[in-house]
Amino acid sequence: MPATTAAQKVRKGSKLTMTKKTRSTVHFHRPKTLALARNPKYARRAVPQPAPMDKFNILRFPVTTEAAMKMVEDENTIVFLVDRRANKGAIAQAFKSCYEISPARVNTLIKPDGSKKAFVRIPAGTAAVDVASKVGLL
Amino acid sequence: MPKLFTSSELKSKTVDELNGSLENLKTELLSLRVAKVTSANPNKLTKLRIVRRQVAQILTELTQRGFAEARKEQAGKKYKSVDLRLKKTRAARRALTKHELSQTALRTIKKQQNFPLRSYHL
Repeated sequence: MPATTAAQKVRKGSKLTMTKKTRSTVHFHRPKTLALARNPKYARRAVPQPAPMDKFNILRFPVTTEAAMKMVEDENTIVFLVDRRANKGAIAQAFKSCYEISPARVNTLIKPDGSKKAFVRIPAGTAAVDVASKVGLL
Repeated sequence: MPKLFTSSELKSKTVDELNGSLENLKTELLSLRVAKVTSANPNKLTKLRIVRRQVAQILTELTQRGFAEARKEQAGKKYKSVDLRLKKTRAARRALTKHELSQTALRTIKKQQNFPLRSYHL
C-alpha cells in the first residue's frame, strides 16, 4: 500500500479508511430516501369546476311504460332513467335526497340505446304508489 | 310566462342566494322532466327550456365571480393558477416571447458593427 502524505489524506478524506459493508442477504433492495410531502407554489386550478354528477344529473326521469307502471303496483319499484355513469349506490343516494325515501335496493341495466335504466325498489313498509305520486308519475 | 334572469338581478345576489336558486331551479327542472314524460302540458314543456337556460345563467355567474375573485387574489404573483393564465394555443405558449425574439447576442452585435454590409459604387 503506497504511503500517503498528510495533505493527501486531508484531500481524500475518510475514503481511505472506509470499511467494506457486510451484506447479510443476496438481494439488493432500493434504499429508502427522503420523500417530501407536496407543497405546491400555486393551486393548479383556481376555480373549482361544478361536480358533474350531482343528484339532479343522476336521476333523469321515470319510465312511464305499461310494464313500468305494472312494476309500481306489483313489485313496489319505480323505474327511472338515470345517467349512464351513475352506479347503484349513487342512484340510491340521489333518490333518497330527492324523495326522502331510502330504496330497499337498486337494480340497473343499460338499454340498447345506451341509456341506463334503474329499478328502484321501495322498502316493504311504504307503498310505491305513494312514492310515485310524490315523484309525479301518477 | 317565466323569463330569464337579467344581469342586474344576477349581480345583486350573493353566492349563497345563487346556490339556493340553483337548487330550486334544478328541482323544478327534475319535476318538469317528469311532467314531460307523464303529461304533455304545453305550459310545462315551454318552461323546461327556460329553466335550463336559467340554470346555465346562474352557473355562468358563479364561475365568472369565482374567476374575478381568483384573478384579484393572484394578481401580481409570479406563478398563477393554470386556468388563470392565457390560453392562446399550446404552441404559442411555448414560443419565444417578443422580448426574447428581439434580443441579439453580443457577438452578433459586434459582428454587425465591425463588418457592416458595404455598398460600393461601380
